[in-house]
Amino acid sequence: MRNRVRLLIVVAAIAATLLASVSLLGQAGAAGIPRMPDGKPNFTGLWQALTGANWDIQDHSAEPGPFYQLGAAFAIPAGQGIVEGNEIPYRPEALEQKRLNRLNRWTADPETKCYMPGIPRATYMPYPFQIVQGTGKIAFAYEFATSNRVVNMGPPTKAPVASWMGWSNGRWEGDTLVIDVTGNNEQTWFDRAGNFHSDTMKVTERFTFRNPDVINYEATIEDPKTFTRPWKMSFPIYRRLENNAKLLEFKCVEFTEELIYGHLRKPTN
Amino acid sequence: MKHRFLLSAMLVGIAALSMLAAPIAAQQRPANSNASTWTPPKTPWGDPDLQGIYTSDDYISNVPFARAAQYGTRLYLTDEEVAAQQARVQTAAQNALQEFANPNANVGTGPPGHWGERARNAPRQTSLLMEPEDGQLPAMTAEGQARDAAARRGRQGAGTALPADSWEGYTYYIRCITRGIAGSVLPVIYGNGTEIVQGPGYVMILQEMVHEARVIPIDSRPHVGSNIKTYMGDSRGRWEGNTLVIETTNLLGERTGIGGNGGGVTFSDAAKITERLTRTSGDTISYSMRVEDPKNFTAPFTFGFPIKQEPGYQNFEYACHEGNNGMMNQLSAARAQEKADAEAAKQK
Repeated sequence: MRNRVRLLIVVAAIAATLLASVSLLGQAGAAGIPRMPDGKPNFTGLWQALTGANWDIQDHSAEPGPFYQLGAAFAIPAGQGIVEGNEIPYRPEALEQKRLNRLNRWTADPETKCYMPGIPRATYMPYPFQIVQGTGKIAFAYEFATSNRVVNMGPPTKAPVASWMGWSNGRWEGDTLVIDVTGNNEQTWFDRAGNFHSDTMKVTERFTFRNPDVINYEATIEDPKTFTRPWKMSFPIYRRLENNAKLLEFKCVEFTEELIYGHLRKPTN
Repeated sequence: MKHRFLLSAMLVGIAALSMLAAPIAAQQRPANSNASTWTPPKTPWGDPDLQGIYTSDDYISNVPFARAAQYGTRLYLTDEEVAAQQARVQTAAQNALQEFANPNANVGTGPPGHWGERARNAPRQTSLLMEPEDGQLPAMTAEGQARDAAARRGRQGAGTALPADSWEGYTYYIRCITRGIAGSVLPVIYGNGTEIVQGPGYVMILQEMVHEARVIPIDSRPHVGSNIKTYMGDSRGRWEGNTLVIETTNLLGERTGIGGNGGGVTFSDAAKITERLTRTSGDTISYSMRVEDPKNFTAPFTFGFPIKQEPGYQNFEYACHEGNNGMMNQLSAARAQEKADAEAAKQK
C-alpha cells in the first residue's frame, strides 16, 4: 500500500509537470512566440495590418481618387477583401443604406472628420497601433486620432454607455486572446466604401500568434439590426520591425476643422 | 483500482491547475498600509507595479500652482492646517449632495455641480510648485515673455467675451486637439483620471480627458529624430529604484502650456520634461514633472502632487471632438448675431 502511494505521488508529479509544460508550450505552430511570465502569449508591441480594407473591406478594383488634381498619388488601389466569403449579409434596407453611404462617402465617412474609428476598423486602418499587455488589463493605442481602449481581462463588466471605441472584455482560449466588444455606438463605419453597422453590433475579436512577428486576427460581427447572420473578417497583423519603431501622433482634428467649421468662419471684408 | 487511479489523476489535475493559479493570486496588490514599512509590489517580470486608475481630484482648486507668500519655503501644511482643509472638503461634498436632495436647485445655464469632480481628502501641499524652493515660477527670458504675450493675444478660452471669429482663436483644448503634456496631468474640474497599464518593456499612461494614450518604452533606445515634433512629445522611461523616470523631448513648440488643460505659458520646442512616478502606498503615486525650457525660463522648475486610486473611480471614453457641439454653437451663434446686428443697422 505504501509503495502504491509512493508510485502515485511520482506519477502525480510527472503528470503535473507535463500539464504545466503543455500549458506553457501552447498550441502547435506558435513555437517561440513571446510569452508573459505566466505563460500567456505576450502581444506587447507595435503592430500594423497591411490590407487595403480601409478603402473597402470587400474585394475591389482600382479606381480614380476623389480629386483628379492629385492624379495617381491619391487614386484607390485594387484590394482583396478581408470578409470571409466576400459577402456581407445585409438586410435589404441596410443594403440600400450602404449604397447611399457609398454615394456620399467622401463627405459621410467618419474618418474624414477625424472621428474615432471604432472596432474593428481601428485594427486595419493604414496606421500602426501599440499594444501594452498588463497583468489585469491590455491597453491598445491607435495612431489614428489618438484613439485607444483598455481591455478588461478580469470578470466581464457591462458597457456603462455606448461609445465610439466600444467596451472590451477579454479572455484567453488557450493561446488565443478573445475580446468581446459591446457598447458600440452606430456612428462608426467599417471602411471608406460605406459599409456600416448599428448600435446592436457585437464584435468578437480573436488574436492568435502565427509566428513571433505575425498575429492572425479574426473579428466576428453580429448585428441583427443590420445583418441577417453573423459574418467574419480575417487578416494578418504584422509587427513593425524597423529600428526604433515607435507609435507617433496623428492628431487629425486640426486637419478637419476647415471642413467641419469652415462655413462658420467670420467672412473677411 | 481503476477508479482509484482515475480519482488520483483528477486530484493531480486539480493540483496542477492550482499550481498555475498560485502566481496569479500572488500578483494581487496588498491593501493600503503604512508607508514606512510598505514595499511596492512588482510586476511578474520584475518592474515596480504602478498599474491602476488614479485621480488628482484631491488637488482640484484647493492648491495653487505658485505658493502664497505666507508659506515662504514651506511645501507642506501642518496637521492643523490640513484639518482645516479637511473641514472645507467635507462641506463642499455635503453641498454637492444638496443638489440631489433639491433637484431643481440648479437653475443656471451651466452644467450641474455633479458634472464636476471634487476632492475627497484634504491636500497637504501649499503649492503644486516644488522647485524652486520658494514655490514661485522662475523668471522668464525676454524671448519667452515676448512669445507668451503674442500667444495670449491670439488665443481665447471658454467663457470669454472675445468674438468667435474662427476656431483658430480657441485653445487646443477647446478645439479638442490635446491638453498637452502638462495640461493633461494637472488637476481640473473633471476628467482627472489617469490609468497606467504596464507590459514588459512598456508603460502606457492613459488620460481620460481628450483621451491621451502615452506609450513609453522602458529601454535606452534614442528619441525619434529631431524633425519629428508632437503635441505630447516623445517619451522614454527608465527605473531608478522604485521610481519610473520619464524623459520627454520633441515637443511641438508654442502649442500647449504649463497650466491646467494646457493653458499658461506654452512650452517651446526646446523643452525637456522629466516626470517621476513613485508608488508610495497601495493606492497612491507620488507624481512630479520637471520642466527645463531655456528658451522660456531662466531656470528649471518642478511641480507635483500625489495621484490616488479611489473606490469606484473609473475612466470613460472622452469623445471630445466627436461631441464638440460647443465649438459649432459658439461659431454659429456669433455669425447669427453679426447677421442680426447688420440687419438692425440697415433698418435704422
